[in-house]
Amino acid sequence: MSSFQPTSPSNRVRIVVATSVMLTFISYWRAAAIVLNDLASSAFYACGIAEQAVGKSAPWFIVAVMLFSFAVRAVYVESCSMFVRGGVYRVVKEALGGTLAKLSVSALMFDYILTGPISGVSAGQYIVGLINETFIAADVHGWVPRAVHNLFNGTPHLNVNSTSVVFALAVTIYYWWENTKGIQESSEKALRVMQITTVMVVILLAWSALTLYKSGYQHVPLPTPENLHFSKESLGFLRHSFPEQSLAKMFGLLGILIAFGHSVLAMSGEESLAQVNRELAHPKLKNLKRAAIVIAIYSFVFTGLSALLSVMLIPDAVRVPVYKDNLISGLAMYMWGPLIMRLIFRGFVVVVGFLILSGAVNTAIIGSNGVLNRVSEDGVLADWFRFPHRKYGTSHRIINMIVLLQLITIVASRGDVYVLGEAYAFGVIWSFTFNSLSMLVLRFRYKGVRGWKVPPNLTIAGIEIPIGLFSVFLVLLATALVNLATKSVATVAGVSFSVVFFVIFTVSERVNRKKHALAKEQMKDHFQLLQSDTVDRDSLGIRPGNILVPVRDYNTLNHLRWVLEHSDTKEQDVVVMTARISQFGAAAYSLSSEQIFSDYEQTLFTRAVSVAESVGKKVSLLVVPARDAWSAIAQTAHNLESSAVAAGLSSKMTTAEQAFALGRAWEAIPEPKRQFVLQIVQPDGIVDTFRIGPHTPTMKNEDVVLLHRLWLNVTREPGLENVHHHDILTEALTRFAHDYGVHDHEDIVKELRRHSAEAGPLPVRRIADQIPTVQPGHTRSDRDDGQRDDGPSSPKGSGSE
Amino acid sequence: MGLKIITVLVRVLEGMFVVGAIGSFVVIVLSGIEDLKMLLGREEENHS
Repeated sequence: MSSFQPTSPSNRVRIVVATSVMLTFISYWRAAAIVLNDLASSAFYACGIAEQAVGKSAPWFIVAVMLFSFAVRAVYVESCSMFVRGGVYRVVKEALGGTLAKLSVSALMFDYILTGPISGVSAGQYIVGLINETFIAADVHGWVPRAVHNLFNGTPHLNVNSTSVVFALAVTIYYWWENTKGIQESSEKALRVMQITTVMVVILLAWSALTLYKSGYQHVPLPTPENLHFSKESLGFLRHSFPEQSLAKMFGLLGILIAFGHSVLAMSGEESLAQVNRELAHPKLKNLKRAAIVIAIYSFVFTGLSALLSVMLIPDAVRVPVYKDNLISGLAMYMWGPLIMRLIFRGFVVVVGFLILSGAVNTAIIGSNGVLNRVSEDGVLADWFRFPHRKYGTSHRIINMIVLLQLITIVASRGDVYVLGEAYAFGVIWSFTFNSLSMLVLRFRYKGVRGWKVPPNLTIAGIEIPIGLFSVFLVLLATALVNLATKSVATVAGVSFSVVFFVIFTVSERVNRKKHALAKEQMKDHFQLLQSDTVDRDSLGIRPGNILVPVRDYNTLNHLRWVLEHSDTKEQDVVVMTARISQFGAAAYSLSSEQIFSDYEQTLFTRAVSVAESVGKKVSLLVVPARDAWSAIAQTAHNLESSAVAAGLSSKMTTAEQAFALGRAWEAIPEPKRQFVLQIVQPDGIVDTFRIGPHTPTMKNEDVVLLHRLWLNVTREPGLENVHHHDILTEALTRFAHDYGVHDHEDIVKELRRHSAEAGPLPVRRIADQIPTVQPGHTRSDRDDGQRDDGPSSPKGSGSE
Repeated sequence: MGLKIITVLVRVLEGMFVVGAIGSFVVIVLSGIEDLKMLLGREEENHS
């Protein structure tokens, strides 16, 4: 693999490893929206599952769980406010040891993997429920053709569970492909989904209040032992020892605990809070707390109140038999008002359910992929799993494994949401329990900085006793232990899954330990890792105006060779950079330098240094962890004061699309920021050049002629003899900006769309003009957007105005 | 004998749950007050 001969330490190649992830920071509203996309999706199925298990008083337990989630949220805020380097595995290992750390990660994986199937199947249940209800309504009005009627031997009807399975499989496969291609988790999309969901929640609550006033309501039995009616399934292993209805009365409080355990999946998704923490904008802790408040109140109102309202408004005769798996649809159907309005609202509920639940399928794949990537970085999963996809660069082997497990789960469940919910609760409660236990132990072991602590804390003889943290842990542990006995399917499935993953992790860790020891020795011979919190010129020892060369695949380093052949490294430094993409689901903690600089980066840089040596030039090496490659390139170029970025051609984007993506990332960098040139070197040696940032656009000849004609006409006016061409442009743009902002926005947009359609696909040289720009002043002349060039540009060479 | 052990275990679980629930309620109240102060812009630092 290595082309190096053993070298002395002084001759080793220096690699700067940035340990802080380059993130595009988001507001607490967006962070809350991402978490709520997962957490609020539980409202669509949690109460139905709980009522089947414990009876009509289930909504009170859902409300209790949502209230308890305020306390669990506090634990997550404390865990996020700790500044520990390493993945989830490392942090739990530090607190509880290797065995429990592996079990903890296995439970978390079980939670993540089950999120996909339960969300997909539940979305299917809502859609099929609506289709069947529409068939019934259409049949009543005689709108169903006789042939269709005969085909179904009556009113057309789809098998709810089977169709839900097909739907869940289709959604999962769709997101498998999207993740294989490498889609990004979008906070913008999450915010839009939550805005639509909020509209639905407001209508739901307002209309329910009107219905309560107009039609009255059913009594929701209080959560007392005598009101608990456990089904056989809900007693799990205990059903063999105790008569169904006497258990709660025998022990009283145990029944409450069992019922609480059956409702706990209402707070699933809370763990996502830890994952968005890293991306929160400054002030981080304050914004984290704000996001946590929004999340807790929103989920309490939506999940808690919709659970209560469903029992208050949907008649007992149909609530469980008909609407158990699409309870909010049932709520829509029993509102006060005309049927057509109720059906329309039900359609809206289904659309929102589809958006939020199918989004949760995607989040499940992204989260699982993130956790397993991080576990792999921790050396507990073989590097083989993390090998990037040849075309898309994603960890496709991990994605394949996750999706395969999810597809098997969907088929095995046969579309039964209750079974999936029971299993899901196992992962949820045990991952919460392990997390709170880790936090509890770390209170005594970890003496580093903490941003915040769960109150109250009592100090006796200099020892701090974390009363609050211990209390939350007690509730979680008691619930988890009771669930072990009462959720037989979940216990068998969860334990089997955890054991399988535990064995995989243990074997992988042993194999990796030997392999990594050898690799570490080799690496020490050739590379010197320098850890740096941030990326700057000083840490790399380079000058401003350097050329940044992003690399990813060690088989495609042509662009690096081209840069080195066409530049003088004595005058202009060349920095070879690779971005270690940190997945969404794994962003809870920072990485250590060994985790960031893995086998793959070693091979990649070995090849890069070989290329540099073959040309006889020196390069600086840099690894940056990031959520998004484009943001990493834009921010690194900005921090290093690079004059040019020289990239290879992407396998999935055109040069123009690459320039557009980098332009977008550049726009996200806060002011003040530097402009630079992007050069994309194609495999055949053709180079496309783009300016990133505000610049003078390339004008069409006819536009120049028009401008000149206008100038001629204007200068004939008395007193306007001294007007210049740029004065005409200033006036035209000022008027355009005014009309676009105030008067004729729609007309202008329509006209521009027409122009765009007539012009067809834009030539490469025009695309750079499409990059949105905001910064006035210091614009550079557009020397040659998109022209075929023969060398990287320096700041002077690019022709400042 | 078996039932006695089960009864003891159940009572331990119930005890854990009750003690934990009371403590969690205190957590919710105290962190709620902190949240309220933060929202009103009168936050006090609570870190080590």
